[in-house]
Amino acid sequence: MALITNILNNAAAVAKGMSVTLVEMLQPTITDAYPEGPAKLEERYRGVHVLQRDENGLEKCVGCFLCAAACPSNCIYIEAAENTEEGRISGGERYASVYNIDYSRCIFCGFCVEACPTDAITHGHKFEIASYNTSTLVYRKEQMLTPLPADFKPLVVKQEAPSAGH
Amino acid sequence: MSTSTAAPPTVVNFTVDGRQLSAPPGTLLIDACKRAGIEIPAFCYYEGYSLQAACRMCLVEVEKMPKLQTACTLPVMEGMIVRSETEQIHKARKGTLEFLLTNHPLDCPVCDKGGECELQDMVFRYGAGESRFTEIKNHEPERQWSPVVFYDPARCILCYRCVRACNEGMGVGALGVTNRGVVSEIAPNMVDHLDCDECGACIDICPVGALTSNTYRYKTRPWEMQHVGTVCTHCSNGCKTTLGVRNDEIVRGNNRDRSGINGEFLCVKGRYGFDVSTNEERVTSPMIRINGKLEAVSWSKALGFVAEKFRSVSTAGGSFGVVAGPHLTNEELFYLQKFTRAGLKTSNLDHARSGDLVTLLDALSGKTDALATSDDCYNTKAALVIGSDLSQQHPFLAFQLRADVRHHKANIYTVTPGPVREAKYSAQSIEVPVGGEFDALRNLTETLKGEQELVILFGDSIKGQRVRDLVEWASGLGIPVKYVCLVDYSNSRGAMDMGVMPNLLPGYEVDPHPGMSLGQMLSHETLDVLWVVGANPLRGKTLASKQAFVVTQTMFLEETSERADVVFPSASAYEKNGTVTNVTGQVQRLKAAVRTMGAKTDLEICGLLAKELGLAVEIGVWSHDVVFKEIHKSVRGYNVPLPILITGGAAATNPVNGRVAVDVRIEDIQSAGDTLFTSGELGRYSKLLTSVPEFPGALYKR
Ligand code: SF4
Ligand code: SF4
Ligand code: SF4
Ligand code: SF4
Ligand code: SF4
Ligand code: FES
Repeated sequence: MALITNILNNAAAVAKGMSVTLVEMLQPTITDAYPEGPAKLEERYRGVHVLQRDENGLEKCVGCFLCAAACPSNCIYIEAAENTEEGRISGGERYASVYNIDYSRCIFCGFCVEACPTDAITHGHKFEIASYNTSTLVYRKEQMLTPLPADFKPLVVKQEAPSAGH
Repeated sequence: MSTSTAAPPTVVNFTVDGRQLSAPPGTLLIDACKRAGIEIPAFCYYEGYSLQAACRMCLVEVEKMPKLQTACTLPVMEGMIVRSETEQIHKARKGTLEFLLTNHPLDCPVCDKGGECELQDMVFRYGAGESRFTEIKNHEPERQWSPVVFYDPARCILCYRCVRACNEGMGVGALGVTNRGVVSEIAPNMVDHLDCDECGACIDICPVGALTSNTYRYKTRPWEMQHVGTVCTHCSNGCKTTLGVRNDEIVRGNNRDRSGINGEFLCVKGRYGFDVSTNEERVTSPMIRINGKLEAVSWSKALGFVAEKFRSVSTAGGSFGVVAGPHLTNEELFYLQKFTRAGLKTSNLDHARSGDLVTLLDALSGKTDALATSDDCYNTKAALVIGSDLSQQHPFLAFQLRADVRHHKANIYTVTPGPVREAKYSAQSIEVPVGGEFDALRNLTETLKGEQELVILFGDSIKGQRVRDLVEWASGLGIPVKYVCLVDYSNSRGAMDMGVMPNLLPGYEVDPHPGMSLGQMLSHETLDVLWVVGANPLRGKTLASKQAFVVTQTMFLEETSERADVVFPSASAYEKNGTVTNVTGQVQRLKAAVRTMGAKTDLEICGLLAKELGLAVEIGVWSHDVVFKEIHKSVRGYNVPLPILITGGAAATNPVNGRVAVDVRIEDIQSAGDTLFTSGELGRYSKLLTSVPEFPGALYKR
């Protein structure tokens, strides 16, 4: 008797297990066929950073060093310089003449994005950056800066008007 | 620099936040609290300057007083009961900040002050997260007032610190206020630009980022720098300066921690004159003259070449002349004089002398406590300046005297060949041509007899017998007198102390085999070798000897190097470790802030030469620590307490007290006559100094 009950119990367990499998087989796939197919990334995925531009096409980064200060792995290196009337790079007084991130150290924590007062740095979706040569992992500003569209026209050009009373 | 030093020694008892405190009467509540570790926020109040009561940040509650009181103007009173942190006070401070921020831009990310801004700190502590003002902010574009000073009116909180620092501290008064109400702003004396000392004191003292300096603007942020405490490398006053260094580049010079003898004082040279070290004309490789042209060669080749020449001249019994610069460290000077005397077996060793300290020491023999320190210049009841445009030539000593007048009502007397800034606040200023000083002094005798004490600062017009006459005249006043013999450069004093003179060994011991002085070397027609370390003796002078083999250790190819056969690239004082001694005999430590490719310190170059000549054992190791130990042990007056030096303080060298019986050649003593904006050989290569409109400045003009 005991033997028959045993067999039945086991069969029931197998059936229960298989039912889960069968139900799942009919559900939509959620795993990616990466690397055969493209990886599907969530909106808030934290990949290689993108340096943004404003509506005038100027760089948003004003070289304030706050991202570098916030970075726990100390992988952001900035050199700042002053905008001139002829050579305006960013919207503020200052811009980053050099902006490097060392991806052999970045832990993609997003602290830099959090720290940025001008929303100049964001995480992009690029992640395939593995390399046999770590020196290629130091990304320069040009590699991260969002390109200007070919047909770009500045949206607004703000002119500083001195206020009355002087 | 407390304002309370002169108060009678009784105390007032009062209570702050339940703590029993006491302070001398007349002490301001804000100071008394600070000393007890209770911080009262303040923008306009600044210790050492006049009271303004403009910002209302320092409000405190005082019992029996109906309204909140400004702690910065309230002297402590017996039985006063004060509360410094209450709901009402916080509300008042929050309101004040809200007003300050009405027109203040949200510039923190780009503002140079961000990270060390007093307004940021205050808003963080007491401020509101948002403002109730919805009006558009008043905005005025930023202005450049000079190659040094920029002003952004939008960021200015009108605390008037800059105005007072310039007027009271510097005695310049180049800044004022224009307009009224919300449109008031700080304005420079020349309407749209400044004509001033370009000292940057205003920038330094500004609690916010309204005043910024050209050298530092937008380059970095405070937390990104290393801060290296060292000594200014220009004039002899020896101000301590804290250099902000990023990526092996000096970006800022200031002394915000108010440490050292100078507190936060720095003149334009100390604050901005560091760009000499990055001048692209710097020599970066040793050079040998080949077919009339200086060609870059390797270190070993140049060292070997010089050693060979030195050896052959030495064997042939030829003559050497060694000239040291006034910016070398004590260690380098000591090592060089040892090299010359023990290695080259000659005392033909000198530097460009700018003051007759030797005769002064001799004349003061037997008197104790007769040499003044920079502190004495601030504390003395009376001071007499003879033959020096102090504000131009010795900016820090002039600053000390101004502070002495403000805080201690000191009487200043000047006897100079032309009008000086000191005349504005001196008790008496007399203009006499050089040579007539003693007539003027005789007229002052009766007045000075009525003083309690006197510090005499004298320039290069008083030398030789006239120094003795001065000491004799001053002894006749019947009051304690201390002296400062003014000399030119950052280590002119050290060069004398270290025996870089033909007739004196280190510590003013008489050299039994005196050699040639600088003037004699240059006019000696058969001089075989002229070895110049960090100096430019051939500027405006010629070398009589045609056959002389000239070796220079230099930063730039100046006149002497143009005549040189071998040139070694030497490090600037910003790239050196060691010690220097200022005009008032205080030793301080020099710390290397940056490195420059190719250059070596003069100590190392001398050391390598010694090694090449096989003299290294005799002259010793060329490490600054080891040489300093020897100086400390063997040079009279340099047995200073080491902890003071190591912690970045200034240790007074005990003056030599005894006869210094040598023949002083007074024709060799001549000040270079630098102004605020020139700095001998160094200043020529500072782009900033040469770019200010006031350059090169003039003596006896302001
Ligand atoms: S994601 Fe994190 S580790 Fe990477 S750069 Fe930003 S702060 Fe640094
Ligand atoms: S002055 Fe201070 S509060 Fe104002 S923008 Fe600059 S850092 Fe910010
Ligand atoms: S730089 Fe010095 S002298 Fe010039 S305005 Fe500022 S404080 Fe005055
Ligand atoms: S410029 Fe700076 S120091 Fe001068 S009043 Fe304005 S905030 Fe104060
Ligand atoms: S007073 Fe002399 S030592 Fe002081 S900062 Fe100016 S140049 Fe340098
Ligand atoms: S500090 Fe007292 S009013 Fe400004």
